[in-house]
Amino acid sequence: MLDTSKVDFNSIYRRYDIESENFNMPESIVSRMLPKNPILRNIAMAVTYVRFREVGPAVMKALQFKIDPQTIVNEGLVTGMEIVSYLYAHHIYYLPEIIMASKVMELGISIAEKVMTEELATKGKIVMHVAEGDPHDIGKNIAASMLKSSGYSVIDLGKDVTPEEVIDAVCNEKPMMVTGTALMTVTLSAFPKTAKALADRGIDIPYMVAGGAVNRDFAESFDMGIYSKKAPQTIPIADSISNGSSWREIRESWDDIVEGI
Amino acid sequence: MSRFTKMAYATSDDMTFGRSKKPLSYGLGIKVGLGSVIPEINYLPRPGAESSRERLVKEYVQYITQDCIKQAVNLGFPNLQLETEWIHTMSDDLGLAASVVSGQKEAITNFHEKYGINLAVRHTVPDLRDASYGLRAGMDTNGRPEKVIECAEVACENGADVLSIESLGGKELSDYAVTTGDITAFLFGAGFLASKDMESLWKELSGICKKHRVIPGGDSNCACSNTVMFMAGGHLDKDVQKTFSAVCRCISAASALVVFENGAVGPGKDCSYEGPIVKSITGMPISSEGKHSHCAHIDLFGNLTAAITDMWSNESVQYRHEFGGTSVQCWAGLIGYECSLMNTAISTGTEKTLRDLYTLSDRGRSPEGYILSYDNAWKIGKSIIECGNSHYLRARTAGITGAKLLIDGYNNKDIGLSRKQLETLYKIIRDLESLPDDEDVFLDMCIRKYADVRGFNIKNYGI
Repeated sequence: MLDTSKVDFNSIYRRYDIESENFNMPESIVSRMLPKNPILRNIAMAVTYVRFREVGPAVMKALQFKIDPQTIVNEGLVTGMEIVSYLYAHHIYYLPEIIMASKVMELGISIAEKVMTEELATKGKIVMHVAEGDPHDIGKNIAASMLKSSGYSVIDLGKDVTPEEVIDAVCNEKPMMVTGTALMTVTLSAFPKTAKALADRGIDIPYMVAGGAVNRDFAESFDMGIYSKKAPQTIPIADSISNGSSWREIRESWDDIVEGI
Repeated sequence: MSRFTKMAYATSDDMTFGRSKKPLSYGLGIKVGLGSVIPEINYLPRPGAESSRERLVKEYVQYITQDCIKQAVNLGFPNLQLETEWIHTMSDDLGLAASVVSGQKEAITNFHEKYGINLAVRHTVPDLRDASYGLRAGMDTNGRPEKVIECAEVACENGADVLSIESLGGKELSDYAVTTGDITAFLFGAGFLASKDMESLWKELSGICKKHRVIPGGDSNCACSNTVMFMAGGHLDKDVQKTFSAVCRCISAASALVVFENGAVGPGKDCSYEGPIVKSITGMPISSEGKHSHCAHIDLFGNLTAAITDMWSNESVQYRHEFGGTSVQCWAGLIGYECSLMNTAISTGTEKTLRDLYTLSDRGRSPEGYILSYDNAWKIGKSIIECGNSHYLRARTAGITGAKLLIDGYNNKDIGLSRKQLETLYKIIRDLESLPDDEDVFLDMCIRKYADVRGFNIKNYGI
């Protein structure tokens, strides 16, 4: 190898990943975001710190203290997940922490649900799929996990899904949004066709398209189409839809909705 | 059972671009690894081109193929290889696929006869298999595994010069691993299971190639390690630790090697970023991509991957019009000129200088670039061949070696690491070193531990 003793590598590349590292420890942030109630606090902490073994006993204890299961979910488990999302947004947590914390939360919800008298309230239902002919589903799976942990109900149709299957699912499930992802350019054509078929059936919901082959211009080239560049952006967009925004309004305010994500 | 037990190169310094220990001659005058680097152009048709059979054949043959070659002639390039990565429309309609393959063959023959330019086409057939339904013949009622073999037959029968695939074995575990940060799952999926799958798949594919006198090029761990690399992303991306991605790359080299132990002879696939490690062991030519693949995705080692390559590629670029011509013409120009630079270095005896410049410009830019630096790639390769026959031990050792090289590099101030990148490395080493030494014990452990991972079925791997 060439002699590098006199080389100043700072003039060749700069390690922004090291320079921008967030040195805050989770504990310093978590403590001010946790619920005040010590029982709910323990539940939230189990999610935040990805403690599989602790979430069950913590939820059971809350039930013993006659805390309403919906409160356990919303103020314990979901609060824990919101803290995880905050840590992720600030680059203290990475994707694995989000995914594992969501599994802890789901475990806690499954226990709380057993004693619920009413169905668990969700922010809305979303049908998700990967385009026909495309086997790449990791992005869709990550988005699905994030949506579930943010309080949405997800109908996951999987990968290599035909337009007919998507149309059937949307007609049957009546979601607030449908999503499609594609990594390969020639699988994209299915999205506008599916959107048109839905419109022909009188369905007018946001059709979020995403994935390596998709760009915003394409997403907004057909009625109902909206864009998500990456999985974390799916959440604020879904929140906006849940709060009543139409696909046209999402397009208009897209930059503001996903700013910083 | 065939296994590499010796390094093809006695030292890492023996490796350069444009030369390999086992060079190849094929197609219409293409010579790989014999003293020049060959540009390999990769493309995708426009959305909508698949709407009719005629339109897609025209897109591939009359537009893409001819544009690429005309540009190479226009710019004075002596060689060009095209790579057609099949889209699902082709595997759905094998008659259409045959028309594309034979049409491309006819086109390159015409250009070769007219201008004397050396040409070949690599056909990369799609891995249609789905782990949830079965990866092996007879398992999937939809016949996907059989269809993959049919695609290979059609490609070889109709004029492919080189056959490749990007196989999906182990992907179900790899996807799980990257989203949960579980290095053992990655080792099991992309290291062990992918090895088993590639072994089975490539015995069959190389047999088809032999029958039709087509070069069995190689595979890629794209589905596993490139997914991790993409998610680790650039310096602003914070989804996956870059040291996790680097170790995954080392692990995937062990499975990528299996392809060459089961009939493949190279040139390896361009997206097989583990190529330098594989070349250090096999001496077979590799194709690589880097800075000119940024039309499809970024990486943090855009120059470094050129250091010891035998072909230089661009990854798939969607066919469209740019100011300077069509996209494939633009990219053919970029990769062709890069090859001209490398070939000038070879001709003037300065190839080791250029190799080192490529390397040093990226070596410290990211952990994954560091372990793919040819000196470190050689060390990882050596650790693999010293492990004997076990696919598991080879992959595990590659991972541990890569992780320790990074820690040594950090301690020697050769590579910078963030606190979390370093913590990730220490955890990886702890996890990998705590695993059993016995492959059967490891297998039993993983079958139990990952039983609930979506799509995982040990029968997919003949076990």
